Order: sequence, then structure tokens, then C-alpha cells
Amino acid sequence: MLPQADRDILENADFHRLVALRRWVSWSLLLALLGLYLLFALLSVHFPAFLARPFFDDGIVPMGIFLGYAILALTFLFMLAYVWIANSVLEPLEKKIVVDLAIRTTDREHN
Amino acid sequence: MNISAIAMFFVFVALTLAITWWAALRTHTRTDFYAAGKTIGGLQNGLAIAGDFLSAATFLGITALVYVAGMDAMLFVLGGTLGWAVILLMVAERLRNLGTYTFSDVAAFRLERGSVRTMSALGSLAVAIPYLLAQMVGAGALIQILFGLPYAIAVVIVGVLMTLYVTFGGMIATTWVQTIKAVLLLTGGTIIGFGVMSMFQFDFASLVGAAVDAHAKGRAIMAPGVLFTDTITVISIGLSFVFGTAGLPHVLMRFFTVPDARQARRSVAYAIGFIGYFQSLIFIMGLGAIVYVSTNPEFLTADGSLIGGANMAAVHIAKVVGGDFFLGFISAVTFATILAVVSGLTLSAAAAVSHDLYANVFRHGRSDDATEVRIARITTLAIGLITMSLAMLLEGENVAVLALIALSIAAGVNFPVLFLSMYWSRFTTRGALAGGYVGLAVSLILVILGPTVWVSLLGFERAIFPYDYPTLFAMPANLIFAFLFSVTDKSARAAAEVERFETQWIQSEIGIVEQKV
Repeated sequence: MLPQADRDILENADFHRLVALRRWVSWSLLLALLGLYLLFALLSVHFPAFLARPFFDDGIVPMGIFLGYAILALTFLFMLAYVWIANSVLEPLEKKIVVDLAIRTTDREHN
Repeated sequence: MNISAIAMFFVFVALTLAITWWAALRTHTRTDFYAAGKTIGGLQNGLAIAGDFLSAATFLGITALVYVAGMDAMLFVLGGTLGWAVILLMVAERLRNLGTYTFSDVAAFRLERGSVRTMSALGSLAVAIPYLLAQMVGAGALIQILFGLPYAIAVVIVGVLMTLYVTFGGMIATTWVQTIKAVLLLTGGTIIGFGVMSMFQFDFASLVGAAVDAHAKGRAIMAPGVLFTDTITVISIGLSFVFGTAGLPHVLMRFFTVPDARQARRSVAYAIGFIGYFQSLIFIMGLGAIVYVSTNPEFLTADGSLIGGANMAAVHIAKVVGGDFFLGFISAVTFATILAVVSGLTLSAAAAVSHDLYANVFRHGRSDDATEVRIARITTLAIGLITMSLAMLLEGENVAVLALIALSIAAGVNFPVLFLSMYWSRFTTRGALAGGYVGLAVSLILVILGPTVWVSLLGFERAIFPYDYPTLFAMPANLIFAFLFSVTDKSARAAAEVERFETQWIQSEIGIVEQKV
């Protein structure tokens, strides 16, 4: 048997929104980054010539170093995006759920 | 012997011992000892996390990899950074919301505490001890070169200092030592990186061109495949870094030092910034070493190899950039790096024994603060003595083997158990134990049967298992066994564990509801 507070939270639509949103944001960002890393790893084994060719036609910096630094930069940007979403969207939602729960608990105690 | 290195080393040791004394005055409860009173802010914890991850293996090892193999090092640089994305997006906030001091708190949250904690604690020790030995053996060899001290004395110095930091200062001292070291390492790396780039008028293409011209392998170092050529090895390396990082007990423990999930999130965001920044500098350091170190007889032995081996490429390039004084600074920072990392590892190993095994398995959660902290201190002392003795015996051994065992076990044992316990409602105690122990056994057996131990250490002609890295086999084995043993578990205990998932799920999303209301 779940505690009353847990049952109240499970009945709250905002909680399900929070869970769905967090799941969507974190899994999308993570799968995108892991996909890029896997792609880089597979390219390095099966198509090393592609990663070795210069990024610019007349340059010397190879595609692999350019892509590697691009993935590093993207990782950092994705993490900043997650922190921004978590601070500005997910956390206010969490606070609203807790306030709603407090109101329901108080009402129940008064009744 | 470098006088500036010795002077800076003594300054660092004096400063950290003063911090330990200050921290000891503030360490009264188990929360102080294991989690620095849960008062560390996001920025400082981010620095401490970066410090934990940027060990001597990263600083010296990956720079050496760039020096030797060029582009192949990119797999390590990317993997090491992406591992932190997994922690931020999947682990950090939930860990902080569910746990108290160790990751076993989370793994055992709704499962049978005794058996799951025992398995998690063994997983933690199986990661922490070899990792600790790798650092100590490496430290002994490094200090021999940097300060001209005998190996045994170097090991004793590292062992005594780490025992003092942890025994008296607990997590407060460990965090401050780690923070100071991270700042010093980031500063040192920045100076080397900018120093090398300034020699090429901040033109990265010129640096790459000069490295290609200077390296014996020429243009080949700008192509992958110098060291790693098969898919299984490359995928295993990726899995070890990406998921092994999220299974390192000393790293996971850091998320319990902050007051809430928001600060845990901030910690990782800062850590990713610092780690990503440093990893990108490592490539510059390695390329700079190819240009200026590999061509300078001052840094080469009579047979043309690097003095101190490839691992010293980062130290030698420091001398090129800043002369003897800066070499002294980098040498002292490298030593500080080892001291800080071994302190974090020792604390996590001590917590696995005192909090998980003693307090929760043997005393069923009924121990008081003073006794638990006393047990943790005694354990720290024992770990210090044991690792010093083992490190003496392991002089000259390949430290990469020990570090490899640690990261493989972290990915093959700890991460799957932690992940499934947080995300899969049908995960049961039976599944956790089957998956965890199978992952541990597969990791250890395959490492022993692999080329590094079977051929290089034991001297057999051919390895029974052809790959160095077992993660591609150990991690799926853990997941498959955990799945099969969970879904076929029809016991009443399993039903109760599945039912408790909703409460855990709510707490992992928004923290402890009663406290917040």
C-alpha cells in the first residue's frame, strides 16, 4: 500500500508531465551524443581514411580531430541546455507538485 | 633533483595538512566524514569531481597516447567526457535524491539490503583497490623520476599522506585537497596549452603540420588505427569510459556532498566544462611534445626513447614551455594529483566497509555515528597499510592493467546494477545479485585470460581471451542475467520490491516528499 503522499503525487498530472519531459530531454540528448560517439568509433575502425583526410581541401588538420573537438563542444552545449531546461522548466514543476501536495495534505488534515 | 619541485611539493603538503587539521576540527558525524556535512557548493564540487577524474592516468597517460599514437587518443578524450554526460543525464540527480553516502544506498533502496549492499560493497572495493594500487604504483615510479626518491619511500609518503587526509579530515579534507589540486592542474594545463599554441602563433594547423613532420610515423598519426584496429576493442574502450565512469565509487560519492539535486546537477555541469576543457588541452600538449620533446636530445635516452618513458611527455613539454621552475610546478602538481585521487579512492573504499558492510549488513543499520566513523578511520588505516604493502610488491608492474581492471569492473558490475535499480521497476534482488556477481566474474576472468595479464604478466605465449578490454562481454552479461533472473522471480519478496518501485520513482524525481512538504 502506497503512502497517501505518494498516491497524491501519482494522481497529479504535473508529476506525469515532469517525468515525461525529463525522460524525453535526457534520453534525446544522451542518445544523440552516444550515437555520435559510436559513429566516431566505427568510422575510426572501418573508415580510417575518412577521418584522416584533411577537413579543408588544402589544410592539414584531419577530419577526425575536427569531428572530435566538435563532439566535445556539442557535449558541453547539450549539457548546458539540459541544465537550463532543468533549472527553468523542471524545477518550477517540481516545486508546483510539492506545493500542490502540501495544499492537499493541509486540506485533508482540516477535513 | 629539481629544487623548485621539492619546494613546491613541501608547500602543497604543508597546505593540505593544515586543511586536514582544520577539517578534523569540523568532522564530528558520519555525514561530516562521508559527505562533508552535505554543504559543498556546486562549483567546488564540480572542481573536486574534475579533480577526481583528471588523475595522473589522464594527465600523463592520455598525453602519452597522443605523443605515441596521435588520433587514436581521441577515443579516450571523447569517452572520458561523454561518461559525464551519462552521469548528468541519468545518474546525478537521482543518486542525490535517493542515497545518503554511497551508491549502495541507491542500489539497495527497495531491494534486500544485506545481500545487495554486500554485492555493491564488493563491487566498490573491487574497483577502488586496483585503482588505488594503480595510482600508488604509478606514483612510486613517477616520484622516483621527479624527485629522485627510492620507490619504497615514495610509496610510503603517498600512503601516509592519504591515510592522514582521510582518517582525520574525511570528506571535508579530501574535497579541499581535490579542489586545490584541480585548480593547480587546470592552471598548469592552461599554461602548457597556451605556451605551445603561442609557439605556433595560435595556429592549430601549424602545430598539427609540425607534429606530422616530427613524428616517426609521419602522416599516419593523423589517422586512426595506430593502436586500435578491431571493432570489439574500440567498442569496449568506449563502453568502459562512457559507463565505467558512472560506476566509479569515489566519483559517485561526490554527489552526496552537495545539499540537493540542483547542486548535484550544477556540479556535473561545471565538471564537464573543466574536464572537456582539460581534455582538449591534452591534445595540444601531446602534439607539442611530439614537436619539441621527441626531437630534443635533452629529453631522450641513448637509444632515442623518451627519458622516463612516454608517460613523461607531459612533464617534459612543461620544461620546454616554462623551464626548470615550471617543470617543478608541474611535477608538484602531478604528485598533488596522485595524492588527491588516492584520498578519494581510500575514502570510498573505507565507506564501502564501514557504512555498507559494518553499519548496514552486520549491524543492520543500528550503529551510532561515533562507532561508524571510528570503524571508517580504522578501515582507512588498514587500507593504507594494505595498499602500501601491495604497492611495494607490485613495483615495476604494468599499472594500466590495474586501472583497466578497475574501469572494466565499474562498467561491468556497478553501473548496470545502479542503472537498473533506478530505472527498471521489475528489477529484483535475485536479478541484482545474479547480474552483479556474473558481471564481476566475467570482468575478472576475461582480464586474467586476456593478453595483458595472461601474456605480459604471466608469461604465456598466447592469450586465451584475445582482447584487452572485457567490457563488451561483462556489461551485457550483467544486464542479461539481471533481466532473466528478475523476470523469472515470482517470489513474494520480488512482488514487494516491484511494488516499492513507485515510492522510489517519486523520490528519485522530486526528493524526499515529507521533507519538502
